[in-house]
Amino acid sequence: MTTPDQIEFVRRIRSALGHAPDIPRGVGHLFAAGPSTEDVRLLEAVRRRTAAERQALLEGLAAAARPINLNVTALPDSAYATTAIVRLVAAKTPEWGDAKQIAAWRHPLIDRLSLPEALDRLHVPVHVTAPIPTEADPGFDRIERERQRAGIIASFVGVTSADFCLADTATLVMRNRPGQPRSVALVPSIHIAVIHLDQILTDMKELFALLRWDEHCRPEGLSNYMSFISGPSKTADIEATMVHGAHGPREVHLFVITG
Amino acid sequence: MSGISTENYIEEAKRGISNPVLQRALAGLQDRFGRGTAEAYRRLPEGPDLRLKAHEIRETAIANLDVLLEILADKIRSNGGNVYFAETAQAAVDYCLAVARRNNVRRVVKGKSMVTEEISLNPALEAAGIEVVETDLGEYIVQLAAETPSHIIAPAVHKNRHEIADLFVRKLGIRRTTDPPELTQAARKALREKFLAADMGTSGVNMACAETGHITTVSNEGNIRMATTMPRVHVAFMGMERIVARLDEYEIILRLLCRGAAAQTMGTYASYIGGPRHVGESDGPDEFHLVIIDNGRSRILADPQFREMLYCIRCAACLNVCPVYAKIGGHAYGFAYSGPVGAVVTPLLTGINRAKDLFRGETLCGACMDACSMNIDLPRMLLALREKLAYGDPQWQVEPASRSEGLAYRGWSWFIRSRRAYELGLKLAAAGQRLLPRKNGMLRRLPPPLNGWTRSRDLHPLADETFIARWRRTRKS
Repeated sequence: MTTPDQIEFVRRIRSALGHAPDIPRGVGHLFAAGPSTEDVRLLEAVRRRTAAERQALLEGLAAAARPINLNVTALPDSAYATTAIVRLVAAKTPEWGDAKQIAAWRHPLIDRLSLPEALDRLHVPVHVTAPIPTEADPGFDRIERERQRAGIIASFVGVTSADFCLADTATLVMRNRPGQPRSVALVPSIHIAVIHLDQILTDMKELFALLRWDEHCRPEGLSNYMSFISGPSKTADIEATMVHGAHGPREVHLFVITG
Repeated sequence: MSGISTENYIEEAKRGISNPVLQRALAGLQDRFGRGTAEAYRRLPEGPDLRLKAHEIRETAIANLDVLLEILADKIRSNGGNVYFAETAQAAVDYCLAVARRNNVRRVVKGKSMVTEEISLNPALEAAGIEVVETDLGEYIVQLAAETPSHIIAPAVHKNRHEIADLFVRKLGIRRTTDPPELTQAARKALREKFLAADMGTSGVNMACAETGHITTVSNEGNIRMATTMPRVHVAFMGMERIVARLDEYEIILRLLCRGAAAQTMGTYASYIGGPRHVGESDGPDEFHLVIIDNGRSRILADPQFREMLYCIRCAACLNVCPVYAKIGGHAYGFAYSGPVGAVVTPLLTGINRAKDLFRGETLCGACMDACSMNIDLPRMLLALREKLAYGDPQWQVEPASRSEGLAYRGWSWFIRSRRAYELGLKLAAAGQRLLPRKNGMLRRLPPPLNGWTRSRDLHPLADETFIARWRRTRKS
């Protein structure tokens, strides 16, 4: 599906580069047919990671998180995470309006926290972001999306998981999928992420090796929207004074389940 | 930004130098970022030489730009997105206007993007009756004040908290405060409304990756994530050079971008966007458009002397070390790009004669190249531009700046190579300099046409004896 604007544009580049305008050029040398030895080493490192190494990564993550004001807490199991989230929701006040509501992903790890039941006691409604039914007619689809969007906007806390977390830079990595909208980690004032210890990677190099070559990660690739989130939103645009909460969440809490 | 005002360089530079608020801000900016970036490069596991590797990556990408852009376009289209190749600024703007019209767009939120400043997107949207809101805090301040950004990463560096407080009282109707957190909160509140009500979001592109078919945007504030998530339509604008082949190459570029831009190991948000919302998902735009812009870049590409400029990723590290930018600020450069990057790329995009003061004003000290995250030889290109200006160049439609200057230098060249004329000249000058005013043993003023040399500095007088005469004398004795 090549458009006329593209043909002219690419022809101009070819002539600027001194190539014949209409002869297609090979690209094999630019891309890799398979993982390099470095990629293989990275994949092996992830696959064979010992419990002690995972613990060390968690410590590295906590150290990288401090200077960017990301709060990292290790918890033995998901019941502790539920308690910690309930405590945060009880302690914090909403930024816009008075009513406390929260939004949470439909996600196996988050479902296990039973947040709607746990927060019922505080009379805090939980908007769980279920996938939009694909067989629905377009009208219903739109209404359902509008409803979910309104719930997320009304929430002062958003609870998500993540695909990975990079220890080196304290970066949460999330790929877009049905039931896991990115706005839950963006629009509410406080973002809480819950992950499992084995989701921590060393750095971007490991992540990209997985996304490019790992048989489980490769089919989904980067998805249509992959997010890196490293701590709360910040700006220094007024006299270079660091302020958290420019547009995104003012606070980010990461709970790592170690059990 | 509307239009180009590179002709006012000298006037604007003077204004910048005499503005105490700006001088303090620029000194602070360079002190923080200049040193911080150098330190961040040193702390890289690969060391600062990673910049050389990045230079190679960019060189390969630019040498294969035609195929990489086609692969990117194919992937984005197969992922449900639209790609438009715009030869000119006007074509890019027209495409965006057509998308806006088709989608009944009334309100646009903008993520910070220098290329949209380059193509003057805002005035065009406004002329079509569309409300355009800049959402990066610095850009928002600059927009409310009806000014233009003065730094690529810190657009409002030229304004202090008191000016911003007055501005917010006037424009947002808030109670006066000079507290940066309170001012930020006021903007956060106003802009949240805009994000939630907007029909279209626009962004730039920090870097695209052909292998995965994604563009990426990086921000600390989260405004670009908002602008690319909440509105129905997302239009991304990308200079055609912003692409690498593979994800492992992209990894190196991203690490250097964050270090060069703000001495960070990682920006708060990096988003990899490959297309619009998919079936079953509840958020993200219904439509995604990528506009790839030439606007004079293919001419830079065709010239081997300047092709290296297309390796630039606009991290702004060069601004944070440049002694000229440190004094005159960003507005003097008269276009979207300021500092050393502006001094090279603006003349190439807008006309070498028209923007001649930009590259003539730089010092060639080389600090920009040491700070450059892609290790681009900016000083070499500054010199190449000066050469084009001196001798003229039909390919770039350059008129020699001054024929009398050329004649004078030819005369000078003959003079210093003719021993007799030179010695006679020196004798005459040594005699003549006695008539000139002095202070503390220095000459205060030379007579015209040489008075330009002494307008802002004193000169050492000629010694009583020339070096050669002295050498001959001492060797004999």
